[in-house]
Amino acid sequence: MNAVPVTSGERTRHDTPGADTALASLLESLLAIALAIAIAGLILIIAGHDPLNVFPQLVDRTLLRSAGLEEVLVRTTPLLLAGLAVLIAAKAGLWNIGVDGQVLVGALAAAVVGGWLVDASRPVLWAGAMLAAIVGGAVWTIVPALFRAFWEINEIVTTIMFNYIAISMSAWLVKGPLRDQTLVAPQTPLIPPELRFVGLGDTRVHIGLVFAVAIWIAASFWLHRSVAGLEVRAVGESPRAARHAMIPVTVVLAVALVASGGLAGVVGGNDVLSTKGTFQAEWYPGYGLSAFALVFLARRHVLALLPAALFLGMLAYGADVMPRAAGIHSAFFALFEGILLIVLAAFRWRPWRRKSGGHR
Amino acid sequence: MSVEAIATALIAAAILTSMPLMLAAVGEAIAERAGLLNLGIEGSMLCAGFASFWLTLKTDSVTLGLLIGAAVGLAIGLVFGTLATVLNANQVVLGLGVTLAGTGGTAFLFREVYGSDQPLLSGGPGRPFEGWFDWLPVIGPAIGDQRWFVFVAWFMVLAGHLFLVRTPSGLQLRAAGESPFGLEAVGGNVTMVRIGAAAIGGVFYGFGGAALAVVELGFFSPGSTAGAGFLAVALAMLGRLSPLRVALFTLAFGLLTGLDIGLQIAGVDARPEFLRMLPYAGIVIGLVALGRGVRMPRALGQAYGGISSRR
Repeated sequence: MNAVPVTSGERTRHDTPGADTALASLLESLLAIALAIAIAGLILIIAGHDPLNVFPQLVDRTLLRSAGLEEVLVRTTPLLLAGLAVLIAAKAGLWNIGVDGQVLVGALAAAVVGGWLVDASRPVLWAGAMLAAIVGGAVWTIVPALFRAFWEINEIVTTIMFNYIAISMSAWLVKGPLRDQTLVAPQTPLIPPELRFVGLGDTRVHIGLVFAVAIWIAASFWLHRSVAGLEVRAVGESPRAARHAMIPVTVVLAVALVASGGLAGVVGGNDVLSTKGTFQAEWYPGYGLSAFALVFLARRHVLALLPAALFLGMLAYGADVMPRAAGIHSAFFALFEGILLIVLAAFRWRPWRRKSGGHR
Repeated sequence: MSVEAIATALIAAAILTSMPLMLAAVGEAIAERAGLLNLGIEGSMLCAGFASFWLTLKTDSVTLGLLIGAAVGLAIGLVFGTLATVLNANQVVLGLGVTLAGTGGTAFLFREVYGSDQPLLSGGPGRPFEGWFDWLPVIGPAIGDQRWFVFVAWFMVLAGHLFLVRTPSGLQLRAAGESPFGLEAVGGNVTMVRIGAAAIGGVFYGFGGAALAVVELGFFSPGSTAGAGFLAVALAMLGRLSPLRVALFTLAFGLLTGLDIGLQIAGVDARPEFLRMLPYAGIVIGLVALGRGVRMPRALGQAYGGISSRR
C-alpha cells in the first residue's frame, strides 16, 4: 500500500522518485540489504572471517531449521510491535527515539500487575498485565508529547532523556520498593510459566505473535482507513496544510506520540508475559534502534513491516546463535543493522521534509 | 578530609568527566548551527575512542592516540556531511545508523582484537599546571590539577565559539543553517559549508571520544560512552547552540552528576540508581525552563535541495 497515493500518474512534490510504487520500494529495500551484506562481508574479510561461510550459516541456522525458525518468530514479535510504535509516530512526523524507555516502563508495569494477579485466571492476568503495559508506555510519553505539541520542544531530545530516566528509575524501583524479597536477584515476583503466554502447538512460538499480528492489522486499518489515521498522516506530511484543513494539529501530535508509547509498552508486556516472566534490574533489551532499521527497511509502509520484522528477527536470533555456530560476535549484527540504516538513509528519500520551516 | 578539600575534589572530577561530553556537545552545536542534526555522535565517539585506545596501547603515546581519534571523527563527519547533503540522506536516520554501526562495530572489533581481555593504559597525559592556581581558594587547585588535554579542550571550545560568531566562515556556517537559500543567493555553497561543519563537528566528537578513553577512563570497553553522545545533543540544545554556553552547561551538568558521590560522602541515604536519574530529569526541566520559545536554526534537519527547489 502506498503511503502517498499518486493520482493519475502525476507526481506531487511530496513524492520522491523511486518511492512511489510498492514494487520500487521493495526493490530499493532488497538493494539496501544487498549493499549492507556487501559492506559487512568486506568487514568480515578484513577481520579474517569468511563471509561465504558466515552468511549461508546464518540462513541455515535461522531459516532452514525448524528450531531456528521458531526462535526467529519469537524475536519477530517484539520487533514488529516496536516497529509499529516508531511508525505511528513517524506518520505524524515525529521521532520517537524513546522506545527503549517506554518498553522498560511497560515491562515493569506488566510485571508488577501480573505479579498481583497470579491468583486470577490466565485471561485476567494477561489482560491486566497488558493494560498496565500500555498505560505504562503511554504515561512515559506524556511529558515529551505535551512538550512537543504545546511548546514545540523537540521530542527527539526529550524521548532520549526519558530513556535514561527509565533505565535508572526501573533499576531503582526493582532494587528497592518493588523488589521481591524472597528472591536472591533483584527482580519482581515471578509469574509462573503456566500462567504466561501459551505456545502455538508444540513450538516455542507463543500466542504473543498472534496478538502482535492482530495489532499490526488493526493499526494498518486505523492508519489508512480511519479519519484519525488520515489526520495523523496529514499532520506528518504538512502541519501547515493540516492546520488549514481544520485538523487540531496539537492534539494529533500529542495523541500520536502517546499512542506510539503505548504500543512500545506492549513490547515490554509481551516480553514479560512470554519469555521473561519477571522484570529484572539492569535488563535492557534495546529494541529502539532496531525498530528504526525495521521501519526504514519497510520504507515506512505499514504492510511491509511484517516481512521487515521477520528479517530483523532473523538477525536478532543470528546474534544469539552465530557466536557458537561460526565464532562471530553478536555485536556484528548490530553493526550490520547500522550499515543497513546508513544505506537506507543514503537513498534519496525525504518523507519528513518540513514545508513549514518548523521547529527543527 | 575537610569540606574544602572535598569540594575541590568534586570540582576537579567534574571538570575532567565533563570534558569529553563538552567537546561532543560543542561539536554538535556547531553542526546544528549549519543545519545538520547529527545523532551519530555516540557512534563517532566510540569509533574514535577505540582507535585512540588501540594506538595509545601500541605506541604508548597519548598524543598520537588523541590525534588518530580526531582523524577518525573527521572521517566519519565527512561521510555524514556528504551523505546528508550530496545524497540528501535523512539526517536522523543517518545519525542513528552511524550510532548503531559504531556501537556494534567497535564491540565487534574490540572482541576480535582483544578477545575477552580488558587491557588498561598506564598513566595518562601530564599535569603541567599543578600548583599554578593555588592562590584561588577551592577552585584553584581543582583547575591546576587537570591534565593538559583538558586545557586544550577548553581552548578548542573558545576557538570554536570565536570562529562561529566572529569570522566570515562562521557567518557562512550559520547562514547554511538559518537561511540556506540566502547563502546560495549571495554566492555561498551550502553543500560545501555543511560538509565543512560536519567535519568540524566530527573532529570535536573524535577528540571527545578519544579523550574519554585515553584521558578520563584510561581504557576502552564496548559501549563505554554510556550515552554521552545523546546527552551531547540535549546539552547542545540546552545551551541554545552557543558553544560557550553549551560548555558552561556541560560543566554544570558534570557538577550535578558528581553530586551523587558528594551526597553519599555527606551521608545522605539514597540509592545510587535514584540519584543517577536526577541529571537527566534536570535536563528535561532545563529544556522546559530555557527551551521554550527558543528558536533553532530554521533549516535544522532539513535537506537542502538547491535554490531551484524553492517555491
